[in-house]
Amino acid sequence: MSDLDNAIAQLRACRPIPEAQVRELCHKARELLIEEGNVVTVNAPVTICGDIHGQFHDLMELFRVGGDVPDTNYLFMGDFVDRGFYSLESFLLLLCLKVRYPDRMTLIRGNHESRQITTVYGFYDECLRKYGSANVWRYCCDVFDYLALGAIVLGASNTLSPNSEAGSAAREVEEDTEIEVCNADGDIMSQFSRLEGGASRLLDPVGSAMRPSATATNGIGGAADSSRNSGLGGAGAPSRTGPPGSGASGSSGGTVGNPAGAVLCVHGGLSPLIDTVDKIRLLDRKQEVPHEGAMCDLLWSDPDEIDGWGLSPRGAGFLFGADIVKVFNHRNDLSLIARAHQLVMEGFKEMFDASIVTVWSAPNYCYRCGNVAALLELSEDSSGLGILSRTNGDVNRSDGGVGGPRGVLMENDLAGLRSGPARRYRVFQAAPQDSRGMPAKKPVADYFL
Amino acid sequence: MSSMPPPKPAAHQQQPQQQQRPDKMNHISALDEPYPSPTALDQATTVHTQGNFRIASRKLPILKSDPIEAMSARLGIPVPEMIFGDNLLSVTHIPTGWSIAFTAEPALDLVDKTGEKMLRVAYAGEWSSSRERTSAGISEVVKPYDWSYTTSYRGSETSTSTSTPSGTIRKHKLARSPTTPPIPLGLLRRRDPILFHDEVVLYESELDDNGISVLTVKVRVMEHRMLLLCRLFMRLDNVLVRVRDTRVYVDFDIDLVIREYLAREDSFANLKRNLLMDGLMPDAITVALRDANQVAHLLPVVEQVLESVSLRDS
Repeated sequence: MSDLDNAIAQLRACRPIPEAQVRELCHKARELLIEEGNVVTVNAPVTICGDIHGQFHDLMELFRVGGDVPDTNYLFMGDFVDRGFYSLESFLLLLCLKVRYPDRMTLIRGNHESRQITTVYGFYDECLRKYGSANVWRYCCDVFDYLALGAIVLGASNTLSPNSEAGSAAREVEEDTEIEVCNADGDIMSQFSRLEGGASRLLDPVGSAMRPSATATNGIGGAADSSRNSGLGGAGAPSRTGPPGSGASGSSGGTVGNPAGAVLCVHGGLSPLIDTVDKIRLLDRKQEVPHEGAMCDLLWSDPDEIDGWGLSPRGAGFLFGADIVKVFNHRNDLSLIARAHQLVMEGFKEMFDASIVTVWSAPNYCYRCGNVAALLELSEDSSGLGILSRTNGDVNRSDGGVGGPRGVLMENDLAGLRSGPARRYRVFQAAPQDSRGMPAKKPVADYFL
Repeated sequence: MSSMPPPKPAAHQQQPQQQQRPDKMNHISALDEPYPSPTALDQATTVHTQGNFRIASRKLPILKSDPIEAMSARLGIPVPEMIFGDNLLSVTHIPTGWSIAFTAEPALDLVDKTGEKMLRVAYAGEWSSSRERTSAGISEVVKPYDWSYTTSYRGSETSTSTSTPSGTIRKHKLARSPTTPPIPLGLLRRRDPILFHDEVVLYESELDDNGISVLTVKVRVMEHRMLLLCRLFMRLDNVLVRVRDTRVYVDFDIDLVIREYLAREDSFANLKRNLLMDGLMPDAITVALRDANQVAHLLPVVEQVLESVSLRDS
């Protein structure tokens, strides 16, 4: 283990490790990842991160803001490499931490974890430059093929845990807080109450996309639940008791099972070929990211303000609208989809009545965008009911499949959609220039023509 | 220096709602202030005066969600993910008020919004044929437009009129004229000291990892002349490469402005072949394909416009 700890120390200092050590690390990582399913189950509390893109110093800033491994349980949603100057150090550090603390570090695949994309967008060149050969790039690409395609977070709480970063005299978090936005030092920038009307007394930083949905009167108590569920017709009333995320879950309001519903994490988004989380589990993922098909869609697609599914104007790739997300979440008993893949200036963006959120963790993207980045923290449910082990294969046993009564979303069902788990976003900026070990790039006078 | 966090304020001093720390919290993290204040705009603007001309450049971070949605609504198309909507490069003739400015929004306004000139990514054929088997029914392209963000933007001109002492009205506006001289490249190749220079990005899109489309403006000001270059570089991998150059040359001695627009374009395959013929190794070709400077001269010119305006009272 000490070799691994040495490698971690060396990589934390942003120094690459020798080629032979990379080979060994990648071998170990592959052995570990091969045991993981396509959809990894992660228990809250967890800190969810979006794209990193080789911005090593900003990754260090992320760990400073979010807490170090293994104290904090991390879930990274892919795009570790390309575009930034330190893809190699960033990815190898994450991989070392994965091997060292497998239960505290979850890595899922982004569209940049691909041979074809890394040859064009920088990682290949970087490996060639730093090692003089493409061997290290090949080892890393072999690991890419084994990365999981998604993760399901179970046991997330409806209420936020106290903000541990806000000093020793941690403030009590009000029970009805659904969303809290903090800066890098843990100071609260804004809060959103779950109760209707509560939002108006608070700042509204990101506009309407952030506003808690009208259906956000989720069950803190049983009375709210029953009134909410009374809107569900007999056909739509969930009655199964499987674990969340399997499509077989029966928990609808927080009295049984997983109070806040499960959270699906995936790099890009949904696919028209995937209507249940279990269908993701059936894919053969151990390959280069294909140009088409369900695996490609999960890593590439984007939510958009449209109805249903649409084709990207580029001629390849899907866009999906609010109705698709809501039906998918309802069918799979999800309260939220967390995804990355798209640059958002505020670091995160909730869409479609908070049924899906984009998390972006590369501040000052490409060293010139000036955007902030964010982490999403989900607290652990303290009722003791949150953490459930899942079983496989329940989906078709009951009526979770297409065509069953649950396959049709009744209008009433939308009113009964879960409100999300309590979410704390930590917003942070790029690491200070002087921590990068390189002078600020000043534009040079250039005799261009 | 390390990146140690600054000391935290004591807990009892904290105000849960408002955290004003002007030393660290800059405008990009003030989430409730999506639009930079006029003061912030001024602070980000650099101005240089040479002869009768004032050159201004402004660099700010990409726009936040609210301004993006507003711009997108005004334009009728989605804006590129890296949209530097507050950035600016402008040249103003102080005596007449004539000016030319380069900003993102008017450039994007010239992008085809109908989908008529829509390109398709290299693997679109393969992709859609496999889709016909698996997910028939999804065939509608969402909001067709030229997502490569190709623009023929040549700057936003403010033309003015002045009256001469004899009472005649003179209009100052860039126009084609048979007497317009070409931009004097010979004079620009001279290593005259550069008194002011800057480069600003107006927008950039990664084309969903299918290449790049980037619009930048740079300027260099010497004692007797200046050159501004506004360049769109669009590379759609394995399909097409485009360069759209607008050069604005100013002669400070005679207050003459020349604007040249050059559109260049070639297939990706042709360009790659030409780079190979230039003697580049495959790895060097990959690098060259990311750099407009290394490929522009290899692309055939498909359109050229030369205009000028003389701003000297006479």
